Amino acid sequence: MVNPIFILILSLAAGFLLSIFEKGGRKLSLTVFYGVLSFNVFVIAEWFYRIVFLSEPALIINTAGFTAPLSINLRLGLQESFVLLFTNFTGLMAAIYLFRKFIKSHISSLILYLILIMGINGLVMTRDLFNMFVFMEIVSISTYALTILTKTRDSLTAGFKYMIAGGTASIFFLLGVVFVYYFTGNLNLDFITQSDFSHFGLISLFLLAMAVFIELKPFPANGWALDVYQSVNSGITSVIAVVNSAGIFFVFYKISPLLPVHLLHILGIAGVITFFFSNLMGLKQTNAKRLLGYSSIGQIGLLVASLSFTIHYQTSLIYLIVGGFFVNHLIAKAGLFWLTGIVEKENLKDWGVLKNNKSLLILFGVLLFALSGLPPFPGFWAKWEFIKILTQTKMFWVVGTILLGSLFEIIFLFRWFTIAVKGDIDSNEKEIPFEFSKLFPIALFSGIILLISVAIMKSYYDFTLIQLLPIIAVLGVYLLDFIPSKIKGFLSLIVVGIYGYYLYPFESNLQLFFGIIFIVGSAINIIGTLNRKNLSQGFYGFLLMMIFSFGNLIIAKTYLEFFLAWEFMTISSFVLILRGNKAQMASLMYMIFSTAGAYLMMVGFSYAPALNSNSVLINSIANVQLPVLSIILLAIGFMIKSGSFGVHIWLPEAHAEAESDVSPFISAILLKAGVFGLLMIGISYIKNTPSFDVFYFVGWFGVITALVGAFLASFQEDAKRLLAYSSMSQVGYIVASIAILSHLGWLSAMYLSFNHMMFKSALFIAIAGVYYRTHTRTMYEMGGLIKKMPLSYITVLISIIAVSGVPPLSGFGAKWLIYSSFIEKGWYFQAGVLFFSSGVSFLYLYRLIHTIFLGQLKYEHQDIKEAPIWFIIPQYIFMAGIMAISMNPNLIIQPLNSIVGHYFQSAILIDGYNITSSLGNWNGNLVMMVTMGVFIVPLLFLKLYNGKTQKVEQFNIVYAAERPESPQTTHIAHNMYAHYRKALGGWGKPRIWNFWHEATEWSHSFGDFFRHIYTGNGQTYILHIILYIVVIYIILGV
Amino acid sequence: MIKKIFVALAIFGLFSIFLPIMINFDFHQNLSELSTQYVKGSVEDLNSQNVVTSVIVTYRGLDTLGEVTVLFLATAGIGFLLKKRKGKKRVASELLQTSSSFLSVVIIMFGIFIFSHGHLTPGGGFQGGVMIASAFLLLMLSDVNLELNHTILQFIESLSGAFYVVVGLIGLVLTIGFLNSKIIPLGEYGNLFSAGAIPLIYSFVGLKVGSELTNILDAMGGD
Amino acid sequence: MIFALILGFALLLIGIYGMLSQRNLIKIVISFSIADTGTHIIIVAIGYLRGRTAPILDKAIDIANATHKVVDPIPSALVLTAIVIGLAVTALMLSFIIELYKKKKSLSIDDYQELKW
Repeated sequence: MVNPIFILILSLAAGFLLSIFEKGGRKLSLTVFYGVLSFNVFVIAEWFYRIVFLSEPALIINTAGFTAPLSINLRLGLQESFVLLFTNFTGLMAAIYLFRKFIKSHISSLILYLILIMGINGLVMTRDLFNMFVFMEIVSISTYALTILTKTRDSLTAGFKYMIAGGTASIFFLLGVVFVYYFTGNLNLDFITQSDFSHFGLISLFLLAMAVFIELKPFPANGWALDVYQSVNSGITSVIAVVNSAGIFFVFYKISPLLPVHLLHILGIAGVITFFFSNLMGLKQTNAKRLLGYSSIGQIGLLVASLSFTIHYQTSLIYLIVGGFFVNHLIAKAGLFWLTGIVEKENLKDWGVLKNNKSLLILFGVLLFALSGLPPFPGFWAKWEFIKILTQTKMFWVVGTILLGSLFEIIFLFRWFTIAVKGDIDSNEKEIPFEFSKLFPIALFSGIILLISVAIMKSYYDFTLIQLLPIIAVLGVYLLDFIPSKIKGFLSLIVVGIYGYYLYPFESNLQLFFGIIFIVGSAINIIGTLNRKNLSQGFYGFLLMMIFSFGNLIIAKTYLEFFLAWEFMTISSFVLILRGNKAQMASLMYMIFSTAGAYLMMVGFSYAPALNSNSVLINSIANVQLPVLSIILLAIGFMIKSGSFGVHIWLPEAHAEAESDVSPFISAILLKAGVFGLLMIGISYIKNTPSFDVFYFVGWFGVITALVGAFLASFQEDAKRLLAYSSMSQVGYIVASIAILSHLGWLSAMYLSFNHMMFKSALFIAIAGVYYRTHTRTMYEMGGLIKKMPLSYITVLISIIAVSGVPPLSGFGAKWLIYSSFIEKGWYFQAGVLFFSSGVSFLYLYRLIHTIFLGQLKYEHQDIKEAPIWFIIPQYIFMAGIMAISMNPNLIIQPLNSIVGHYFQSAILIDGYNITSSLGNWNGNLVMMVTMGVFIVPLLFLKLYNGKTQKVEQFNIVYAAERPESPQTTHIAHNMYAHYRKALGGWGKPRIWNFWHEATEWSHSFGDFFRHIYTGNGQTYILHIILYIVVIYIILGV
Repeated sequence: MIKKIFVALAIFGLFSIFLPIMINFDFHQNLSELSTQYVKGSVEDLNSQNVVTSVIVTYRGLDTLGEVTVLFLATAGIGFLLKKRKGKKRVASELLQTSSSFLSVVIIMFGIFIFSHGHLTPGGGFQGGVMIASAFLLLMLSDVNLELNHTILQFIESLSGAFYVVVGLIGLVLTIGFLNSKIIPLGEYGNLFSAGAIPLIYSFVGLKVGSELTNILDAMGGD
Repeated sequence: MIFALILGFALLLIGIYGMLSQRNLIKIVISFSIADTGTHIIIVAIGYLRGRTAPILDKAIDIANATHKVVDPIPSALVLTAIVIGLAVTALMLSFIIELYKKKKSLSIDDYQELKW
């Protein structure tokens, strides 16, 4: 138990004496230096432990033998010890990071660094305003001097700008402090209360608050900070961005109880504005460190906002929100700044070098995901609770601004991440040198932020192991990554089996139904991944994470559990998509759309009334009257995930560019998560119908999606894109049927969901096999594969019959149900559009089977074999499923009937094989028999009487004695439906794509426009500061 | 032009922030409660004539320690920034050289007087230190090639700082509080040896400030 | 003594005006110094009480009645610290300018804006 004032004493004494120790050699001074820094951490850690775990009261230290306010006193309570533990530890780590620099540099750098850390300790602990000013100057001056640790012209210029800006702020701080004394006769925070100030006296608090606020770098008065972040040595930058910011933020926290509420609110809004604009301007950044600078400034703005808006809530919530943002941002930012110092690439484009260094890449990923506020990192919980508070107090503008800003942040951070994973690299690029002293702090910080994340989940939210399972999966498989992928695949299969067994029995049969789609469907698809040859590092971890999040989605009991599983699902599927060869753009687009959807859902859930039972969400939500706003936001969120028209542009890219054995998961299973979500809203909707019929519009969107998806699928040359658009179209049917909100509608939606899961998995795996053998996805480059890959051909044939809805297979039943339900509901026009799009889907289905399997074999495909067995097995499992429900639809209709009967009065009658609705009846078995008969009779006839057919060469086309350069493009298979495209005229243009493209361009241009206020001229920055103060004063209207 | 307008707006804005303060400003009629206690305490508790000194060195001793640190940091920073180069040859007139070397001794003596009498007269460590540094400035101006003994300067600077901390520490060891000046008998009111450790602390401050400022001047004069 | 306060604010504004309008780095630092000095004068003015003397309790002052004779010692104490800090900052600024000048041989702030946006 060491008095924390020894931190000040020892650091000062060591600082004063270091130049004498230096006479005894650098080793001695370095020992003293690191010794003192470690001592600080140790002292504070002990106090933190005592205060948190032994519940000791806050420590008050008086100086000079007098009590406050006569003398200056220091306080070390929970908040102080937390912030100091964090800053001292970061200080020590940054010093370790700078070890190689400190061996060589001038002794003054050690002195300055040591006293800088001392200053932060004083700044945080002191309760005296003027003393705060002194410590702030200590911190500032040592920082100014340290900016030139690596002396370049840029760092000198930046340092000078920093000095005049900081100097200006300190003048206002000083004025504020002395006027506080003038009005209250006191300088000690413990002896000043808001009521001591007359209305006129508030000017002193205004000056004080503005000075501190300027130091927190609000937009636009923060140009100097950006220059510093960009040009100063990474180690020092991390100290400025993390340790200093933490200290100054704590000063703001200390004075915030004094500030009048309206000033606090204005500063909070200024923080939100800062967050928004920094992230907007970050979009245009190409310099890694400046980008981190923008992000840093934005995050501090968010931190200020979170404090300003939550200050009157209960303490534990403030700790979670403000503390969460604090820890999350600062740890991630320190780690990332350190990484920039290791990678030493200024331009983001060059970060592809990380690809060759797996360990750095993983650290980069952890820190970047943390910074983005994704779960399980503290920022996620903070954001969730913060948005909840803001939504419930109806501050929708603030919510919107924060979330839009966050989205911009996601865009530039993940653009950076995808470059690091997939970017191009120079072939003669050198390996990143390994320096233990630089890597150690980063690794430690990544570990710490994960630990804190788990601690929050366990202690604050009381989550069980099952919610942690997705993270455990990634970490666990990471440890086992040396095992060959086939064994990992089998293990995964077993693990998924155990997981499924654990989840069973469910509270509701709806869960069981989706459990089969998600868990059983995934398990069968895992077989397809067994074909992997090498180690496939990281693959199974994220695959398991995704499957576990599917499962957690259906057993979620609260909004938060649901949203958590949803986000885990997004993260894991993003990483899986990113593994594809050319998936850089596709995965980024997927991430952006998913995040936007997730934010809408977040607001939707925040605005929803509290649940009042402990049942699973899908049951308990029935008793909740969701507000219209919630329904709209949630519906949009789920429809983004299911690729509805307007927000579908990510879908073909992601489904097509993912690795071929990943695509079935993404396309056949992941999309059903959106379906599950829509059904969930529907359950609340039917019991508590809102005033505004949202689902009518959802229905229309589903119908349009079905049509547009079918058209777009028809125009694709790439087999996987074709299948992706086909999925879009099929999910359109499902969404439309859900929106009908009737027994038949839901029955058909679920029937189709199940059917689609099977045939789309089978199709994607079949195409995976074809791609595996032919190495192309472009359909006109194939042809005639029927002879080489007959098993795959049969799969595709059966599947497309199942999709198209012609008898006798399961698709017929689906179509019959859908049309019945639409007509029953009275949505005749919609039914017509769906009928038309069914017709369009024949186009792409025919194209798929014709171009790949029929026609003549290409020369280069003479020697290919049937797809590997691991692709064939899952296909035929699904085939068996399709055949089973085609022969005997009751296998599926009967259970679905009882599930849906739970929500609606049953509208069909099942009698043996015969199913009767109000419009007619359908006997699946009979249809099968008749169709088979109709099929077999002509077949036998043709076999007997039409044996002699003449074969024609496929490419014997010659133009005026000249062979076309690429004969395939003259074949019908190329641009197959060009005439239909022409017929569509102006409707065929990619309008939606253009819309999003324009939106991107505009936001980037805005970002570019605004960042031009940072002229680079130090004088302009001062002008910004002064004008900023004036403007806030005018807004405040004092 | 636009910039000029903005500058004018900024200054006008600031002016309108400050204007109400100037208009409504009213001098207090009495000392604040805190100051009253200081004025009384300076005599009764600390036996120091100069109340400002009591406040600076004892009551708000942590500020002063910080202040010394700030100056120290500036020295370290400047030393870090400017590497001394050989000056150009330029000889001052003999008259100036002689008189300045004579004067500087007197100035140093006066500086020492100022910092050691900080508790009695309007003066103190900083003022004294600045005077000492000004003596060295005079020497530097008259003889541009003056080579200061950096080792000695450094020792004075480091040790006086460290001793200041140690004096503060004694209070902590005696459990009467960090930087308590009652660790030394308070002496007789109005004498040089009164007010406890105040003169001692001010002497260290004076030495430290003097050596630091000399260092700064030396570093800057290098070019 | 209200004039001292006004003078302080005037210097503060003049200093800030100088910081915003001067191109020369050294003039900017001088302006900063002027603004700083203005602040110091304001601090001292705040501590003033009408008709009182400096808080040095020597024989000229009746010690028993000292609280009614002297001006506020706190602002004086604060201003001393503030002056030294201002000095330190100014010194560091000037040494930055020396280094900048060595690198680019220019004292105009307009020549140091490579870092921007």
